[in-house]
Amino acid sequence: MSETEQKLRSEARDLLEKGRVNHIIGYEAGSLKFSTTPLITSDKEDTDRLVINPFINNNLSVFLGEVGGKAGIVARGCDARSIVSLIQDKQLAREDVFIIGVPCGGIIDLDKVEKLTGLDRDEIDDIAWQGDKAAVTIGGARKEFPAKEVLTDDCLSCEPPDPREYDLLIGEVGPLVTDGELGRSKIKELEAMTPEQRWEFWKSEFSRCIRCYACRQVCPACFCNRCFSEETEPAWISPLPRWQDNLVFQAIRMIHVAGRCTNCGECERACPVNIPLRSLSKKMEEIVDELFHYRAGTDKEAPPLMAAYQPEEAEDFIR
Amino acid sequence: MKKIKKQDVPALLVKWQQDFTVFAPSKKSGVSRMEVWDGQDTAFLDRNRNTVIPPKANFLLNIEKMFDFRKEGGSYTLEPAGGEAPRQLLFGIHPCDARATAIIDMVFKDAYEDNYYLGRRRNSVLVGMGCTSPYDSCFCTSLGFGPAEAADVDMMLTDIGDAFVIEEVTDKGKELLAGAEGVTEATADDTKKADAAKAAAAAKVTRKINVEEIRKRIPLSFDDKKFWEKVSAKCVSCGICTFLCPTCYCFDINDEMLKSGSGARYRNWDCCSFPLYTKMPAENPRAEKWRRVRQKVHHKYAFYPELFNIIACTGCGRCIRQCPVNWDITQILASLPAGAPAAAEKK
Amino acid sequence: MTQDAEYEPRILGFLCRWCSYAGADLAGTSRKKYPANIRIIKIPCSGRIDPLLIVRALRVGFDGVLVSGCHPGDCHYQTGNYRARRRMSITKKFLEYMGVEPERLQASWVSASEGGKFAEVVTEITSDLKQISPNRLFSDERDGTKAAQ
Ligand code: SF4
Ligand code: SF4
Ligand code: SF4
Ligand code: SF4
Ligand code: SF4
Ligand code: FES
Repeated sequence: MSETEQKLRSEARDLLEKGRVNHIIGYEAGSLKFSTTPLITSDKEDTDRLVINPFINNNLSVFLGEVGGKAGIVARGCDARSIVSLIQDKQLAREDVFIIGVPCGGIIDLDKVEKLTGLDRDEIDDIAWQGDKAAVTIGGARKEFPAKEVLTDDCLSCEPPDPREYDLLIGEVGPLVTDGELGRSKIKELEAMTPEQRWEFWKSEFSRCIRCYACRQVCPACFCNRCFSEETEPAWISPLPRWQDNLVFQAIRMIHVAGRCTNCGECERACPVNIPLRSLSKKMEEIVDELFHYRAGTDKEAPPLMAAYQPEEAEDFIR
Repeated sequence: MKKIKKQDVPALLVKWQQDFTVFAPSKKSGVSRMEVWDGQDTAFLDRNRNTVIPPKANFLLNIEKMFDFRKEGGSYTLEPAGGEAPRQLLFGIHPCDARATAIIDMVFKDAYEDNYYLGRRRNSVLVGMGCTSPYDSCFCTSLGFGPAEAADVDMMLTDIGDAFVIEEVTDKGKELLAGAEGVTEATADDTKKADAAKAAAAAKVTRKINVEEIRKRIPLSFDDKKFWEKVSAKCVSCGICTFLCPTCYCFDINDEMLKSGSGARYRNWDCCSFPLYTKMPAENPRAEKWRRVRQKVHHKYAFYPELFNIIACTGCGRCIRQCPVNWDITQILASLPAGAPAAAEKK
Repeated sequence: MTQDAEYEPRILGFLCRWCSYAGADLAGTSRKKYPANIRIIKIPCSGRIDPLLIVRALRVGFDGVLVSGCHPGDCHYQTGNYRARRRMSITKKFLEYMGVEPERLQASWVSASEGGKFAEVVTEITSDLKQISPNRLFSDERDGTKAAQ
């Protein structure tokens, strides 16, 4: 157990014991190799199960709206920004959440490891950081991969990886290897295409969508009581998972979360049919930044992006 | 028992293509699923782990047109869609998914015969392939069968290295092999190898559930709100575990109408994890998450056994593997309380 | 392509009732000439525009969409057009990234007295749209038939 983990467990226990929070939302070991799973509890004994490792991939802030009372939540950099964003959107009061910040060293993308090794995750024996390399053990043999090759794209372009809004910070601010250009390489490929090619690309991606709505359900920025996709009068999109409607659903979802999406990457990770949703969310982040110099969840006093305006704003596209 | 060398399989598939659309596991779309065989790809002969999209998608379409309707004056004419179901051969279906197909059959030919589904099933051939490398989420051996079970398919293949031993399970299976090039009688040595391969595969399935205990406990849990609240806390109510479950068969029916009043009726997969699934004008009996999670587990482990005398779960592990929060049905089943909740604790 | 060059684009216009809609009216009563390619929906303010309406218009087969409101500073509700502007600029850039040609999303500020400008805008947009092919974004066969509905 790492020192960070130890500290986290005792702090979490203490918070529950002293009644400073009603719930702890963190991660515990999952039931599959290299998996973790959300731990949502009000029982202080459960805090002994809390973990921090390179596989804590859920954005836990999605649960904040569900638990009653005050919640103590384990937050990485992107999660902390999601929490701030929820506060900006008045989905959450700052005093109802106790943010246990954990500076993040980056999440290992198991899909990338699978690609690099040609094996599925359950066939790999061990994955561990070895300095700035990931050591992967398979049947006794060890291979090392540079961090850049195994970190998730979101982590490669994460900024900042350490939470800026917190009540308690646990652990050292780790050196996260970032490489923004590498992290957006899929986007670059898309940008180099003609509109027609791009459309064909997304058409083929969304032909696979089964409309499980996991992307929406795991997203902290998708907090509507009733999503437009479920409205029936009028029905904006068909409930049948046709590529056309799947594409409209995702395009509109991305527009809805503009300025609130922190690029946690959770939607892409959740998608069972591997649609590169992050190539949409990341691009949206760039558009928002370029046009309005706005970054989601960086200032809890700032009005939400779409609720604000400046009289002077780019309007070169308006006749 | 028959035998075929791996190198001879493509020719056999080509032969079958004369009568059937041949499907085989493929990742070429970006996700692994049964795909129309392209005549080239043979990767699945050496490495065939279970697909993400279950083969049920071949029988219970995610978008199925049921009929067209035309409005003329005050009345409607209906025109059934589709016609004769396509003749398809699914090559490389795993024992858990084959069993799941047999399980869904029960509901679609029960009180009402669903010909959209049954038509497809009647015109289909299932060529099973035993697993050589089960996932760490698989738990089929706890459910009365195993990763090499020769049941619910027309023939079953077991990998013995450079060849498959084939068990002919149905007459249809026998016919399909009769006189086929490359298909020989298996020797005693071959069957011995096959038995060893089956045992080895079964031994690799280490995840277990205790069905007897579960069947005892599950009815007692129905009113245990506290239990269900606890185990459902981390579920985010998406459609993954049900859409990808080979035994989940719920569907929704939708009309697409033009201004003229004409249009078509479709059905598509639906899912009991969605609050909308049970939403009615006045009430939603499963508005809370714990009720939906309870429904999912009870449907598989309590209601279905009561109705059809079989558990509607085959231990394929998809719901564990693909769940974005690693909600694990085996853990939930293992933690079912031994007794019913005290009256005061009920909902 | 030759056929495309001659095609008549179908445009859906969302016009603010206080300004652009009145502007369009004026264009009509003062007999300003502009292409008959536009169908108009009156909205209470450009601030009513929802990206969903735009995407939906493309989904049902319109070749282009125009959103038009009061000039900055002139919105009847003070800020509606500023908010619409933000939404529009994000939507336009994002849809372009997904593969929607930028010509399909158009915006203008047209006041109640600018009948002439309205006619110009419609003329320009129509000719812009003629430069690109008809909207087959959502058709399964990109060679002709429009998507269902
Ligand atoms: S998670 Fe993927 S498959 Fe599910 S609705 Fe979202 S895009 Fe579609
Ligand atoms: S897609 Fe839009 S409407 Fe739907 S939940 Fe997300 S933000 Fe709300
Ligand atoms: S849209 Fe995706 S990346 Fe953005 S906040 Fe939601 S889940 Fe995270
Ligand atoms: S896949 Fe997981 S999160 Fe989604 S509904 Fe099933 S249990 Fe819940
Ligand atoms: S409940 Fe889970 S393990 Fe059981 S058949 Fe369905 S997906 Fe497979
Ligand atoms: S009233 Fe015309 S844009 Fe607001």
